[in-house]
Amino acid sequence: MSPTSQHTHTALTRRRLLQSTLGGLAGLVTWQGWPRRQVAMAQKTAASGQMTWAIHVTIAPTWFDPAETPGVITPYMFLYAMHDALVKPMPGNPMAPCLATSWSESQDGLTYDFELRQGVKFHNGDPFTAEDVQYSFERYKGGGAGDLKKRVQAVEIVNPHHVRFRLHEPWPDFLTYYATPATGAGWIVPKTYTEKVGSDKFKEQPIGLGPYRLVSHQAGIELVLEANPDYWRKVPYVKRLVFKSVPEATTRLAMLKKQEADVAYGLYGTLAEEVRRDASLKLEPVIPPGTLWFEFIDQYDPKSPWSDTRVRLAANYAINRQAINEAETLGYSVLSGGIVPRKFDYALALEPYPYDPKKAKELLKAAGHANGFDAGEVSGDSNFSWMMEAVANDLTAVGIRVKVRPMERAAAFAAHREKTIKNLAFHGSGAYGNTATRLGTFVYSKGAEAWIKDPEIDAWYEQQAVERDRTKRQDLLYKIQQKLYDEARFMSVWEHGFLCASGPRAAVSGLSLIPLFAYSGPYEDVQLKS
Amino acid sequence: MHRYILTRLFYAFISLVLLSITIFVLIRVTGDPVVLMADPGAKEEDLQALRIELGLDRTYVEQYIVFATKLTRGDFGKSFMYRIPVFELYLQRLPASVQLAVAAMAISVILGIPLGIVAAVRVNTWLDSFCNVFANLGLATPSFWLGIMLMLIFAVNLQWLPVQGSGTFKHIIMPAVALGLVFTAANMRLARSAMLEVLGSEYIKLARIKGLTENLVILKHAFKNAVIPVLTFACINFALILQGSVVVESIFAWPGIGRLLVEGISSRDFPVVQATVILGGVMIIIVNLLVDILYAYIDPRIRYGQ
Repeated sequence: MSPTSQHTHTALTRRRLLQSTLGGLAGLVTWQGWPRRQVAMAQKTAASGQMTWAIHVTIAPTWFDPAETPGVITPYMFLYAMHDALVKPMPGNPMAPCLATSWSESQDGLTYDFELRQGVKFHNGDPFTAEDVQYSFERYKGGGAGDLKKRVQAVEIVNPHHVRFRLHEPWPDFLTYYATPATGAGWIVPKTYTEKVGSDKFKEQPIGLGPYRLVSHQAGIELVLEANPDYWRKVPYVKRLVFKSVPEATTRLAMLKKQEADVAYGLYGTLAEEVRRDASLKLEPVIPPGTLWFEFIDQYDPKSPWSDTRVRLAANYAINRQAINEAETLGYSVLSGGIVPRKFDYALALEPYPYDPKKAKELLKAAGHANGFDAGEVSGDSNFSWMMEAVANDLTAVGIRVKVRPMERAAAFAAHREKTIKNLAFHGSGAYGNTATRLGTFVYSKGAEAWIKDPEIDAWYEQQAVERDRTKRQDLLYKIQQKLYDEARFMSVWEHGFLCASGPRAAVSGLSLIPLFAYSGPYEDVQLKS
Repeated sequence: MHRYILTRLFYAFISLVLLSITIFVLIRVTGDPVVLMADPGAKEEDLQALRIELGLDRTYVEQYIVFATKLTRGDFGKSFMYRIPVFELYLQRLPASVQLAVAAMAISVILGIPLGIVAAVRVNTWLDSFCNVFANLGLATPSFWLGIMLMLIFAVNLQWLPVQGSGTFKHIIMPAVALGLVFTAANMRLARSAMLEVLGSEYIKLARIKGLTENLVILKHAFKNAVIPVLTFACINFALILQGSVVVESIFAWPGIGRLLVEGISSRDFPVVQATVILGGVMIIIVNLLVDILYAYIDPRIRYGQ
């Protein structure tokens, strides 16, 4: 032991210990500091064109990479800012030409040709070419990748500005998959850069073709983007976009009120009412392709009361959809009789069964359940406990006695997928696509989360999947939806109103500009008041 | 003394191994994370591909061996959600949590200990009653409620403080108060009882008999002895606050470890949960170890196992 350390050892007293502890704590504070200067600069920037979003989800870097887009809409909140697609939904056009100026399908339905926009450059200056399109498609491994790659035989580069997709056989839904947010396969990453840095680094420092480029990202906390003045469509109005992940809805509302945020997502019930009361704020409900419904899990079990159409109809008549709608989404959800969003291609607009508890009781009586019956449990994602409780109350009121069993979100997903859920199950989907894709997942018996077992519906579904005549295809899809409705195979509730709000500084929040898109967009169109 | 320290280190190591096994098993009991990560309509082969990518296709024993081997190199793996090394993520969040914990502890020590001493010195007076009511309120008030109330009053209505975030002194005030109140109350109660015990001891009586002034008796003789258990408690609380400010961090969108843990649990991000729990355990073990060693240094009876 050195003399110094000997001295230190013997000199350690309680007083020194206390002094050291307090000194250490003070040191930690000093080490961290409170960088006032940074904030002052941020505030200055805010005055000259910063728009801030208080968002309800945790920002994950996987969402910055189009190749890993799952079949949910959330990543597009960021993809619309940093990246661009050959074709994507834009204001007034669900399939608008973007990086592709035009496209055509061959007579035999086996090839699709895309003419690419010329003179477009990535954020790092690399030119956009057909090689990037081919590379992005081949690299794609997100939602729907299996179907796409199984059906696409090859992606051919005709010339640097012309790319051709060759299919194994005609596939009427190719553009639904490739040209809408049903998948991220049509969103383009720079081949040279991505190959050079690798996928992990790409997520940290994404380079794209979008109207905004990355400035900084604090994983899970905040994303800062800066306008790309060379964006092909237009120069964005707002210089800087900031996305803050704020898990508490009350905090998001408080941020809006104090103008710490210009747009806030996900404000329901009393918080939405507060937005409506505050004249300086604007409630902006959005209707994304998110439908909510209940499944009769036991409907094909002959011993179950749910196997009787009259009982399923009774349940449909028993629930007061509008009352739940008023309480939770202030009446902005769109009541629905089906599981397909009305704005989807080939959707049959089905009105919900009206609230009629008297008729529900009559149907139950006719089905031999004059005193009602014990229907077991109604279970689902605990985030929607309010919905399950409201529906359970309505069902119990007519004699269908159910117990609510909220499940942790992942457990509920797994139970649906693994078919272990029982009795009555709450479910929903916000996936983009068309009627066929929605029915493919939840109705076609081979669908990943389908509970329906109807050979006739399966046959119609398979016919429509290869039917290139639009009218004939529509007839088949309408027949499926009508049959589901007539037999009350689902207890549909509504197309969910996603309640958002904007603050006094926002002139154009970007909400509801793009058809069926849940979030602000296109970002080059958002504006602050002068 | 060296033997004593080595023994404590051995116990600490065993504790960490047990903690790593416990959290490894418990987080996997919650279910399969790929269900949350994949497309709702994803096919089984897509899910399996994701499991293979994340190493979740292996048996639990194999997964643990890989995990433990990496752990010995200080590698906690990559976050499923963020796709960056978890340790890097943890270090990004640690400073904010340390800031918050320091501020909350400062409030709890600066307010709690003097109030406790005053209550003990003025025992059974209105001042003592006031302190007791304050302590009970502090212990009973949920931090989420207090946080939201502070936010509505000081940020939304008075517009004095920012609603959320971090970076300036103003940002830390509300989260620190919401988090520190319960510890202030706990410190106050502990300081009061410790002080009452000391004030009843023989050497305090002797000090008074010697004719020392009351202030000197309280501040020099009583306080110094009474404050030791309070500060020990405060040090352990500091380590706990670092890990446990989940609610306050969520309310104020504070970018700390508590929020990281919540995000990890809700998305079944196994590496994030494992790392935050184990590193939290390491902190508590280190604090306990230091306290044990210091006690042994101060009191030879502990050192020699008497």
